Amino acid sequence: MHIYEGFLPWQWCVFWYALAIPVVVYGIIRIKKVTDEHPESKPILAVSGAFMFVLSSLKLPSVTGSCSHPTGNGLGAVLFGPAVVSALCVIVLLFQALLLGHGGLTTLGANTFSMGIIGPLAAWLIYKGWQKVEGSQEAGGFILVGIFFAAFFADLLTYVTTAIQLSLAFPIPTFESAMLKFMGIYAVTQLPLAIAEGILTVVIFDYIMKLRPDVLDKLGVLELVKKVGKIEEPKETV
Amino acid sequence: MFSNTLDNYAHSNKYNDLNTYFKVLFGILTMLMSLISTSPVVPLIIALFMSVLIIFGAKVSYKFYLKFFFFPFSFGLITFIFMAIFFGVGVHILEFGIFNLAVTADGFNLGLLVFARMLGGFACLAFLALTTPMTELFSVLRLIKIPQIVLEIAMLMYRYIFVFLDEAINMYHTQETRLGYSSLKKSFKSMGMLGSNLFIRTWMKGEQAYIAMESRCYDGSIRTVKKQGSIKTIGTRNLVLLVLFELVLIMGVYFTGSFRIF
Repeated sequence: MHIYEGFLPWQWCVFWYALAIPVVVYGIIRIKKVTDEHPESKPILAVSGAFMFVLSSLKLPSVTGSCSHPTGNGLGAVLFGPAVVSALCVIVLLFQALLLGHGGLTTLGANTFSMGIIGPLAAWLIYKGWQKVEGSQEAGGFILVGIFFAAFFADLLTYVTTAIQLSLAFPIPTFESAMLKFMGIYAVTQLPLAIAEGILTVVIFDYIMKLRPDVLDKLGVLELVKKVGKIEEPKETV
Repeated sequence: MFSNTLDNYAHSNKYNDLNTYFKVLFGILTMLMSLISTSPVVPLIIALFMSVLIIFGAKVSYKFYLKFFFFPFSFGLITFIFMAIFFGVGVHILEFGIFNLAVTADGFNLGLLVFARMLGGFACLAFLALTTPMTELFSVLRLIKIPQIVLEIAMLMYRYIFVFLDEAINMYHTQETRLGYSSLKKSFKSMGMLGSNLFIRTWMKGEQAYIAMESRCYDGSIRTVKKQGSIKTIGTRNLVLLVLFELVLIMGVYFTGSFRIF
């Protein structure tokens, strides 16, 4: 759910830009460090950004029939870590505004804050926390539960942040009552979408784990898989 | 589902030869004018003006433009209605008689303002998106000192978006012809397969791209030939026109600032 161009008053545009920029700058510094040490990671980061863009332009099979798209930030955060994703997300959001007309330039800061910072951070924290849970490394399917909740909460918190942003911008009559109204709308329309994205991310992750566990291994996401003993020789992919 | 015709228009419209910096300055400044306006008058004028420029100036097919404009328009309308009913505390100007719902004057004004601002802002965004190719926007980003690494990643990303969109469309159609989306459960399975295969492919492409680049003496930076034209070649006439236009808008914002319908 992007905030559209012109939806926020200019004071709030400036405010969210100011909040988002330090995080993005940190992400860029991280990317620079990684690419200086491993130049081969530059094209890979770029294609990952392209992957996030394409993923977000797929239509999500949704239960309510409302059409929406996955945000892909949960998957990205689990794969690359939140700081890198926040920097990639800015570029993706810029492309979405200019190539698809989703979102906008003045609201880029606010959208980056909800989709590129809060969402990925939530996903990453949940995923890392889940790895610490006793027994989460025993059964293969158990990892996927963590993935589901990471993607689910990344999506959900993105919407909650958006609702907060909107009610801060339009606190009429009070912040709480505006929040209640926006949350009411989002709970109906976005909760099923969050579940759908969670399931989709699980399916995607499961396939990647089966087909190319070596990729995940390289990214350092899955020390888990090794312990489970699921790593096999990489199969030829179609 | 997959629309990339926006990019096609960006490369083949009548304003393509215009100075990039001029177009970007014009689009962004007008967008800011629409943003700071406190009445719906100026944003609506901007929306109309930009739409006329896009359809009659840049010769973008009006069918395509209307379709493109329809989604933000309907979304804005819903917001307008929602705000008019739920976001007011003032005088009731229209009672529905059920559930104690009513349109209030301040809610109506706020809704109209947001609606107008969205249309104005979106028209400016559409102007930028439809008249300026991404590749030229990169040179503007370079001018405002966006770090080189971000630009390089963005450029590579831009190139690969279309490669992967093609692959995604192919995979999607293939799955669809094999009834991959005939039920909800199958949809999730197919979509998951599509996503994961896409990821693995993107990964392989990334590695191959690096090998290809390295064998052509890639040393960590991508150098490109810049297109002719700079901020200095906008021309006095265009610059004067631009400043005059924005001044008129600022005056409009100032004088209509307290305009309200109710």
